[in-house]
Amino acid sequence: MTGRRRDRGTLRTLRDERWFALLSMTRVFGAALAIALLLAHQVTHADPGLAVLTVVWTPASLLVLRRTQHEPWAPAVWAGDTLAALGLVLAGGDWRSPFYVFALTTLVLPATSLPWRRAVAWGVGFSVLYGLVALLTNQLPADTLTNTIRLETLATHLFVPVVVATMLAYSSVLLGRLRDARGQSERLALQAERQRIAWELHDSAKQRVHAAHLMLSALDGGATHDQNRALLDGALAELRNATADMETSVAELRTPLDGRPVDELLRERAAELSQTGVAHIDVAGRLPALPPLVAAHTYRIAAEALTNAVRHAGCSAITVTLASAPQEVTLVIADDGVGMPAEPRPGGHGLRSMHGRAETIGARLHIGPGPGGRGTAVALALPHPGGSP
Amino acid sequence: MIRLLIVDDHPAMRAGLTAVLRAEPGIVPLGTASSAEDLGPTLTRTRPDVVLLDYHLPGADGLKLCRQLKRTVPAPAVLLYSAYADSAMVVPAILAGADGILNKSAPAAELFDALRAVARGDRVLPPVPRELLEAAGQRVEPEDLPILAMMVDGTPMAEVAEVLRQPVRELARRVDVMIERLRVEIAAV
Repeated sequence: MTGRRRDRGTLRTLRDERWFALLSMTRVFGAALAIALLLAHQVTHADPGLAVLTVVWTPASLLVLRRTQHEPWAPAVWAGDTLAALGLVLAGGDWRSPFYVFALTTLVLPATSLPWRRAVAWGVGFSVLYGLVALLTNQLPADTLTNTIRLETLATHLFVPVVVATMLAYSSVLLGRLRDARGQSERLALQAERQRIAWELHDSAKQRVHAAHLMLSALDGGATHDQNRALLDGALAELRNATADMETSVAELRTPLDGRPVDELLRERAAELSQTGVAHIDVAGRLPALPPLVAAHTYRIAAEALTNAVRHAGCSAITVTLASAPQEVTLVIADDGVGMPAEPRPGGHGLRSMHGRAETIGARLHIGPGPGGRGTAVALALPHPGGSP
Repeated sequence: MIRLLIVDDHPAMRAGLTAVLRAEPGIVPLGTASSAEDLGPTLTRTRPDVVLLDYHLPGADGLKLCRQLKRTVPAPAVLLYSAYADSAMVVPAILAGADGILNKSAPAAELFDALRAVARGDRVLPPVPRELLEAAGQRVEPEDLPILAMMVDGTPMAEVAEVLRQPVRELARRVDVMIERLRVEIAAV
């Protein structure tokens, strides 16, 4: 799970860095253009000063934007960045400014990071502000042919930011969808592979184990010698545990815990079972993080206990108590039902597989009467994952 | 003497079952089949009393095969043999006419007992949990509920048809539909 989360993280960073690289490139280009224009023509009375300011401001602004990129208040920084760039335009004294391209680069981060509607709105806001700057620089066209051309230029100046913001937002959305689709297809491929392995495990390995168990169990009557008897019983128990192991693996491959905490999954399962209306299920306490195999077996044991309680106990309330002590972790599933039958149910395979699972993970499983002799309590104690041996 | 036919797709299981059952007095394995196609010829040749049928066969599922077996005359007793321990399989198995259902992890003695019981005409079915039956009831058509109830109770299909005054063929069709709805997908286990 950590692997997958890390992957997703890397993907996200790559995407963000790609947009930041675009910002850096365009801003450096915009700054170079502005400086070249300032130095080649006399634009204002303070051209060298403005050029120096641009040289200082460009890396400084990039640094600040990089640092604050993922903060929730980043839009405020972007707004400040925009106002600063418009300030440079204003300082140039004309809306047909050498800083126009530079100012456009302030759109990159908002357009690619905000949801697309807001991104487009940001572009429109930029154009409105630019229109205000044009008003302030007092270079508004009057009624002549030259002025018609200038009017057209102003319209272009005001239109370009909206186009840029829209296109960037659109590309960002597309990239996001592409990434989701790729993740989805990877997940599907993984799932298909898991299904295949599960099927092979069930279809081949488990059948062989069943066959071996059956053949050995047929020897039962013949093995009268005490030592042979003990060996045979041991072998049969091992084969049953192997089946329980494989069942857990198959279940894990089909519906993996996916590294999710056992207590969270148990709460979900309890909610599902509560919906059948048979019994009210209450889950209290927390479990520490468990190693994957231990987690899988623990969850399946607890889930089986819940299912048994709902199906057979005839109870109205089930309490699941999770506790973590320094030495061990305990789960107790207690119900207020009819209690365990004296004779095991015919075809009852669940209890055996619960014991098999507990043995596999080195846990102690006790199934007996509940508190005060009422109902049934299933208590599982496993060594603390972080505890001393 | 119980004349037995074994149907399982896995060679290890077929070999193991044949060896174990041959050694048991009173049970005679007549042969094995590995698939639905294989079963037809073997069945006409051997005419078994009991068929030990794997629940999950590739290509055809055990339930459908069970229905087919129970339609042949004379119909053999069918013991469904499953690698999964889930009581959700019991209701569809009953509808398919299975005389018993047994988990593959059961020791040999249990298998012998189950085979003898179905050969005698008894049913070897675990009790159906109440909420499973309720869930099954919600998944079938309301007018099929009496059929479900009677069959879970162990009423033979001919009798159910008589009670409902319906041709057996029509009843069989409705039961097939119910099995389709209640079938337990392995992937969901």
